[in-house]
Amino acid sequence: MSARREPLWFCHECHSEMRPLMVPDPVCASCRSSFVEKMENAEDNPRDFAHDADPDFSPGGAPSFDHILYALLNARRSPNARPSPPGTRSHLPFPPVPTLSPLGRPASPPDADPVLNFSEFLRRGPEPPDGIAGPLMMQYLLSLLGPRHEPLGRMGPANMGDYVFNQEALDRIITQLMENSSGNRPVPATDEIVAKLPREVLEDESPLLQKDCAVCKEQFKVETEDADELVVITLPCHHPFHEPCILPWLKSSGTCPVCRHALVPQPSHHPPGQPDHESGESSNPHPNRASPSRPSALRSLFGGSHASGSSEGRPSRSNSDPASRSNPHRRNSRQNFPGGWGDEED
Amino acid sequence: MASISAKRLAKELKEIQTEGCPVGVNLLRADDFQTWLFSIEVMGESLYKGEVQTLQFRFDSNYPISSPAVQFLVRENEGIRAPIHPHVYSNGHICASILGTEWSPVLSVVAVCVTLQSMLASCKKKERPVDNDRYVLHAPENPKKTQFHYDDDTV
Repeated sequence: MSARREPLWFCHECHSEMRPLMVPDPVCASCRSSFVEKMENAEDNPRDFAHDADPDFSPGGAPSFDHILYALLNARRSPNARPSPPGTRSHLPFPPVPTLSPLGRPASPPDADPVLNFSEFLRRGPEPPDGIAGPLMMQYLLSLLGPRHEPLGRMGPANMGDYVFNQEALDRIITQLMENSSGNRPVPATDEIVAKLPREVLEDESPLLQKDCAVCKEQFKVETEDADELVVITLPCHHPFHEPCILPWLKSSGTCPVCRHALVPQPSHHPPGQPDHESGESSNPHPNRASPSRPSALRSLFGGSHASGSSEGRPSRSNSDPASRSNPHRRNSRQNFPGGWGDEED
Repeated sequence: MASISAKRLAKELKEIQTEGCPVGVNLLRADDFQTWLFSIEVMGESLYKGEVQTLQFRFDSNYPISSPAVQFLVRENEGIRAPIHPHVYSNGHICASILGTEWSPVLSVVAVCVTLQSMLASCKKKERPVDNDRYVLHAPENPKKTQFHYDDDTV
């Protein structure tokens, strides 16, 4: 258990605090709403929005949208909520607000005035016939709500993100866990490392002019419209690149694109000095794809998310083997493909 | 100025057109720099003898820094299916590390084609990944999105 906990997320729809499902954008684990917010900044607490109507929090503040809509909902259902002349406020029933409290403590009844004023506003104007009358407006607002109140009533307030209720949800979470395992995600090079890389400006006699940039696959040349392309960065492994070509790559992975020389330590699915194959896995055709700690198992060529057994993962030396076939791509490529079959077969 | 991806893809396309594709690989469509289609056939003796697969590449503007989204094309109503392989899901998504963590901008469209071709060629038993059903049930449209999860869209 790490000391620093990931912040919980807050759902603005059902007010639960949970860890969202990433599918791939975050959605509320309770109500599947996408209106969720990470609670990482103590100054900007999303719960405050939910409590605006709470006098303790913001005396005289505006009622929350939820309260207004609950009021409307009840007003529509209640037989004595027919439009009444302005001023007869007492006929409007008040919603069962306490069930809305996301923190599990009973919310005190919100300041009634703003809600009623708003309800009156809805009932009164814009005046027919040229506007939407109150009841119509209410229906419109309620239709915006959709089925979202259903889980509220059923499950009540809690950290619903901590629980699952059926097989499907469990499946989804397991899938999410396995696919999000960041154990072998590349580590970018730090700005400091990048700043220290040797740079060279191309000149007429530069020996670099004989070479190619492996990212854009263009030969280095002095005549160029883009002055940035005159700057060449040579990585410690002696592979040269246009500065504008290599910088974005190093920001996503601190490795040499050609030889994978690591500028910063990378997740070790590639133990140094170990040959690039997976013979240790033969007895286990499908190792747990979620375990980034298995060193060389995940290194296998097709092991990005599940490593194969050696019998499947190793190319046979058939005449379909790309290494032994004439291949226009390989002809002019000095490099072998990182992680490709060439690593193993050449 | 053309984007880096357009420049690089134009160069790759030109090379394909002048030098041809590797044996068993054919360019089907490359009308733009967003989506390319290739046909892939395993030459010689293999479990896939006689089968022709369609491979789809989708590029974003960060190609080749970001990997292309590569999958086998699946059109059930036209009878186009993904090959049955332990690393190929029935929706066409491919579990191959070079399409994910092991991607490098040095790789190219043709290199990916060749790699996937030999992935098929070396297959010993035609079967789906063990977690096929579960994966396909919740899989995103773009295989890059959840399978390897490089772009950190949690933030």
